[in-house]
Amino acid sequence: MAGWLDGNLVGFVDGIAFGLLLFTIAVGLSLVFGMMDVLNLAHGTLYLGGAYTAYALSDGTLPGLLLALTAGALVGALGGAALTWLTQPLARRGHLDQAVLTLGITFIVADLLAAAFGGEVLPTDPPAALRGTVDLLGHTYPVYRLVFIAVAACLAVLVHLLFERSSLGALVRATVADRDMVRAQGVDIRKVLYGVFALGAALAAVGGVLGAPTLGPGPGVDESVLVLSLVVVVVGGLGSVRGALVGALLIGQVQTLGVALLPQYAPFLLFGTMLAVLVVRPHGLVASAVRT
Amino acid sequence: MAGRFHPLVLITVTTGLLLATGCGGASLGTGDDNKQAGPVKIGLLVPQSGTYKALGDDMKQGFELYVRQHGGRLGGREVQIVTADEGETADSGKAAAEKLVKQDRVLAVSGVVSSATVNGVKDLFETSRIPLVGSNASPTTLTGTEYIWRTSYVNDEPGKALGRHVAERAGGPVFLIAAGYQAGKDEIEGFKSTFLPAGGKIAGEEVYTPFPGTKNFQPYLSQIENSGAKAVFCFYAGGAAVDFVKQYRDFGLAGKIPLYAPGFLTEGGVLKGQGDAAEGILTALNYSADLDNAANRQFAPAYRAAHGTDPTTYAMASWDAAQVLDKAIGAAGSAVTPETVNAALSSVGDIDSPRGTWRFNSGGTPIQPWYLREVKLGANTVAGDLGRLGG
Amino acid sequence: MSTPTTSRAIGTAVLLGLTLAPFLLGPYAVATLSRTLVFALLALSVNLLTGLTGLPTLGQSAYFGVGAYTAAIVAKDLTDIGPLQLLIAAGVSALVAVLTGWLAVRARGVVFLMLTLAIGEIAHSAAVNWKPVTGGTDGVSGIPPVVPLPGMPALELDGLVYFYVLAVFLLLLAAVTRLGATPFALALRGIRDNEPRMKAIGHPTRRYALTVYCGAAALAGAAGSMWVSAQRFVSPGDAGFEIAALALLAVVIGGSGSIRGACAAAALIWLTRDYLGNLEAVAGRGPLLLGLLLVVAVYTLPRGLAGVRLPHQPSRKRAA
Repeated sequence: MAGWLDGNLVGFVDGIAFGLLLFTIAVGLSLVFGMMDVLNLAHGTLYLGGAYTAYALSDGTLPGLLLALTAGALVGALGGAALTWLTQPLARRGHLDQAVLTLGITFIVADLLAAAFGGEVLPTDPPAALRGTVDLLGHTYPVYRLVFIAVAACLAVLVHLLFERSSLGALVRATVADRDMVRAQGVDIRKVLYGVFALGAALAAVGGVLGAPTLGPGPGVDESVLVLSLVVVVVGGLGSVRGALVGALLIGQVQTLGVALLPQYAPFLLFGTMLAVLVVRPHGLVASAVRT
Repeated sequence: MAGRFHPLVLITVTTGLLLATGCGGASLGTGDDNKQAGPVKIGLLVPQSGTYKALGDDMKQGFELYVRQHGGRLGGREVQIVTADEGETADSGKAAAEKLVKQDRVLAVSGVVSSATVNGVKDLFETSRIPLVGSNASPTTLTGTEYIWRTSYVNDEPGKALGRHVAERAGGPVFLIAAGYQAGKDEIEGFKSTFLPAGGKIAGEEVYTPFPGTKNFQPYLSQIENSGAKAVFCFYAGGAAVDFVKQYRDFGLAGKIPLYAPGFLTEGGVLKGQGDAAEGILTALNYSADLDNAANRQFAPAYRAAHGTDPTTYAMASWDAAQVLDKAIGAAGSAVTPETVNAALSSVGDIDSPRGTWRFNSGGTPIQPWYLREVKLGANTVAGDLGRLGG
Repeated sequence: MSTPTTSRAIGTAVLLGLTLAPFLLGPYAVATLSRTLVFALLALSVNLLTGLTGLPTLGQSAYFGVGAYTAAIVAKDLTDIGPLQLLIAAGVSALVAVLTGWLAVRARGVVFLMLTLAIGEIAHSAAVNWKPVTGGTDGVSGIPPVVPLPGMPALELDGLVYFYVLAVFLLLLAAVTRLGATPFALALRGIRDNEPRMKAIGHPTRRYALTVYCGAAALAGAAGSMWVSAQRFVSPGDAGFEIAALALLAVVIGGSGSIRGACAAAALIWLTRDYLGNLEAVAGRGPLLLGLLLVVAVYTLPRGLAGVRLPHQPSRKRAA
């Protein structure tokens, strides 16, 4: 037992790192769907925008990383606002029309990014200060990933507090539950919508900046990130921060510990997990106020 | 349904117009003899979009460089290059190949990145009797063809070239890991075919990682660390190669356990992406940009001047594909048809190539030299000879 | 001026154009048309679920792939008679749909979409990894040319293969159109528009949904077998996400469950991707064109291709 634990400790820690990355990326998708009832299939594109921002601005120093994070958040927020503006006219036309529009946007932006940055995968190096490895009970582990766990955990706590504990979050959750009632209270719903979309998109782009050393930008990365995010929010349950966190941590473990323990089933693990969860709990692990 | 049918008219008309632009002999006859008067048309089937775009760009640049260096002529005939987008899947590749063969009526086709595409278009080239001078993809299963040539290598050869060397140098068991698709399996089998007879030992089981979709290699890197292996042989190309090499360094394995691989791991754009993480990696390939021979002195500096980067094996094999076609069209004489060119291809003899001298074997793949290369200061440098393969 | 007469005239004109195509066009154009017809069949299969029953699916590529691989194996080892391959492929796809469908039809809306996406992705992984059956990433090649009926010669020429594909397409199109006029189809529309009410008046809606799910899978399997007849090659990409997504997009752009709309949109998408994308001038910017097409279509055709109508007609409510 002790030997088993020792052999898989690194996998478990890395599962947390990967899960927190997935949470940072996916929580926006979940909130946008829950709050605004918009199915945004351009979510992977926001990650890609953040990752390319990191590639363009990272110079191996800590200030460079901070600059990239700020710029990435800005790029994401702008992208989110633009997507809100573009999807508003389709608000009453159902998810499928939004899916067509946002997939179309994905194709267009992917093509433009490939034209600008070329067809190679371009992972960035983490800042020099965070490049080494540490000894994790006799196993080597990258410092950057440990730092990443700390940063992403802080982000997760912040987002959780913002949405579940603050009065602003209460307003947002009220909007999820009953939009018309909130409107009747005299709140400008549109501001709330723009705000949530911009925040969710900024988080996805920040995930792109932080994830760029592991999951570097390149053609096709937007699609894999989109699929991973969809799996996370559906497994966790749409429309809640807690759901996104639970789903992300589970998928993170499946993709690291699961792959190590069941190598022969590795290609099927991700979607197998999703099917298994949805068979038992059709609305995801954490049920929320959203009716799907 | 009344009145809800206008757009269909529009679509029918545009479709009709679209397709009518592509008239080229009726689809119900066998068509006339494809005799090339005036400039000869050569098709380039390379990815211009999607994951393999970077490879496709390399191949296109290599082929075009040769044609440019020879005054826009091959075999004394003016050349018109028609490019079609291979895309990511075998389907898009097959559709593009059909366009080149059936609509553009090209004399010959070069290019092709993916093994799946080659399998998909095999029958097309064999039945329409058009030569395909492929410059990259070459699965081991592709045999017994008459119209398909490759100026690259067979997929298991880079592994074959390296097996013996690693067995002699490793000083202990070697861990084998590759992307889980046909090319990965070919490389591992090729490696084992020379590694095991030379007394090599494999650490644990060979591992195939799900392809595509493996982005985080931590589970496998931990396995390598725990296996007690003295060296690692891996096969990755493209984006996965960048991810693998970077994470190999991040987990502290670089510099501790030597990493051997077929040359694609550190070839071209991926090396830029890997940066200093690639330092010291040992690879086997049929080419290195720093080779010193007459043909490479003609090729590499010109390529650098045009594109600002070192040429890759993909560009080199495409440059050679143009050279092979140059010779074959020249030898076909006055009646240049796909059939005469294909016949001439079998007797082009020794090719004076940037990789050294090579010639086609009976299966239409090169008998050529292989080199051991080491990454030093962000460039592949020749570190030794691995003998000739393909005979 | 649009009346049933003009509508019929247009239909006849389209049919005439499709019939004459091989006499007028080159082999590549005709082969592209064959592929387009197959893709339209797949769109019809998605339309049964999404347009008619209101179940958005991203997994029809799974049954398309099952049908294609089945047809490929049957063609290589059993018989080169096309209709037999088609029936076996449709049967196997329907069988697989029974085994997987009970999972999917428990859900609705986005959850159904995600379940079918998972089924599609698992099918794609199976095609890549189940080498003895599927040939892995290399796919299955060396498939013999199709024989349309016993005693007839095998079809090698693109134009003849196209006629076979067209004949099967028209037969299946007629079958699907007839189905749209049955009481069962009415019940399916009821599920789409108001499932609780359907349940309340005693309809076993889940069983209906499973039935149509299997029917749609059989149609996708038939399309897969036609794909093999037209291409004589199948690879995992045929069971991939892109195919599923494009088929769903075609149905959405086609509009409100219209059969003609779905066919027209399928043609538009496929020709943009395959034909325009391969033109020299486009130089690999096919995805950009496809993206622009989707964005323009969504804004300019609020009711889809089929929903364009004259102002004096009352508009039908579009179901989301």
